[in-house]
Amino acid sequence: MLWAMLPTSLLESLLNQLLRLDPASQPRLQKLAGKRLRVTLDDIAQPLTVSVSEQGVWLSWLDQEPVDCAIRTRLAVLPELREAANITRLIKADLLDIDGDPMLAQALSKLFAELDIDWPEHLSQRLGDVPAQLIIQAWQRSQQWLQQQRRDQQQWLRDALIEEQQLLPSAAEFSLFRSDVQVLRAHVDRLERQLSGWKG
Amino acid sequence: MNDKQQDTIDFGYQQVAKADKQKLVANVFQSVAQKYDLMNDLMSFGIHRLWKRYTIDCSGVRSGMRVLDIAGGTGDLTEQFSRRVGPTGEVVLADINAAMLEVGRDKLRNRGIVGNVRYVQANAEELPFADDSFDIITIAFGLRNVTDKQKALESMFRVLKPGGRLLVLEFSKPQPPLLSQAYDFYSFNVLPKMGQLVAGDADSYQYLAESIRMHPDQDTLKGMMEQAGYAEVSYHNLTGGIVAMHRGYKF
Repeated sequence: MLWAMLPTSLLESLLNQLLRLDPASQPRLQKLAGKRLRVTLDDIAQPLTVSVSEQGVWLSWLDQEPVDCAIRTRLAVLPELREAANITRLIKADLLDIDGDPMLAQALSKLFAELDIDWPEHLSQRLGDVPAQLIIQAWQRSQQWLQQQRRDQQQWLRDALIEEQQLLPSAAEFSLFRSDVQVLRAHVDRLERQLSGWKG
Repeated sequence: MNDKQQDTIDFGYQQVAKADKQKLVANVFQSVAQKYDLMNDLMSFGIHRLWKRYTIDCSGVRSGMRVLDIAGGTGDLTEQFSRRVGPTGEVVLADINAAMLEVGRDKLRNRGIVGNVRYVQANAEELPFADDSFDIITIAFGLRNVTDKQKALESMFRVLKPGGRLLVLEFSKPQPPLLSQAYDFYSFNVLPKMGQLVAGDADSYQYLAESIRMHPDQDTLKGMMEQAGYAEVSYHNLTGGIVAMHRGYKF
């Protein structure tokens, strides 16, 4: 158990550093201060308790004191919890068990989801304006390069499938085909009506 | 004549007059205060942070609580408690040694820990606080240096609120024989040299190694806590028993 303290406290200080970088976190923490959430994953025997204070969030594997909300679920189910709509279904399917205030878990995840960190500002405070500017430009350039690469790859795939191998129709062909189908359907409908008119 | 036996107490492996131990311990810490944090990291390979973290996690601390960190030295536990109890709670950092308290105060202020921390120079045997005033009391690596341990445990019991808990983190007896041998070699051959090299003071670190051997083992300390009135006393060995964390409640 002692060695689990190391990654846990590293994660905890990372989370709190991130919270400190956004001034809007302070009022959010204030609202949640004193609240405690316990998550028990069936895959991991030990429950993890998250406590909130004005200064940050605190993680503990050993805490056995009462909490405001206790969640019991499986590791694989966690991503599905992001959608509030899934919760009832998961509870019914016995994949999720919530005891206490269900809004607390969402408020806690919001604390991090709504983080809006002004990276250029924080970097320039730590490194000085010029190095910060250089790093940010390099970051933006690498982002642009990545996007360009992604666009190029998509273009290549498109050309290969449509023009060269002709496995898929092009957008223009497809829309032409679709409008042909619509016209055909209209014809058929009209024919059907005429036919039923003759029958009658 | 029988009194003579009772008037002396261990100071490391030496026997000294009871009245002198406090002063001698004070000298040790006066001498190491400035390098205390660095030495802790070097001597324990940084593991002392995990031991302390374990203690925090077992404390059940919540916002609004009052915590007393006795022999808090350079304030490692106080810093963590201060962040967790928030502005509605309070942490009292008590140490008998003014030099250690000073180092702790400077360190915590530099880290922005202000507002809910109070610094009190106090003797653990006669704590200057009202009865029933703290939710949690911790003493980490401090009980060993107290002259009258039983009296100190009783004094802590008095200032603890009913329902509150005491956590004692202290060096203890390593359980696996092999570890015990390696640990002895390390304590008596490596530690004093390291102390000489880094803090320029081998004697203080020789004392440290000796005082650890003279400290009551896990079950003896448990018995002492029960005798002082604590209920549900339990202990947990950390790193093979090199360190043990004792916990007891006041009901």
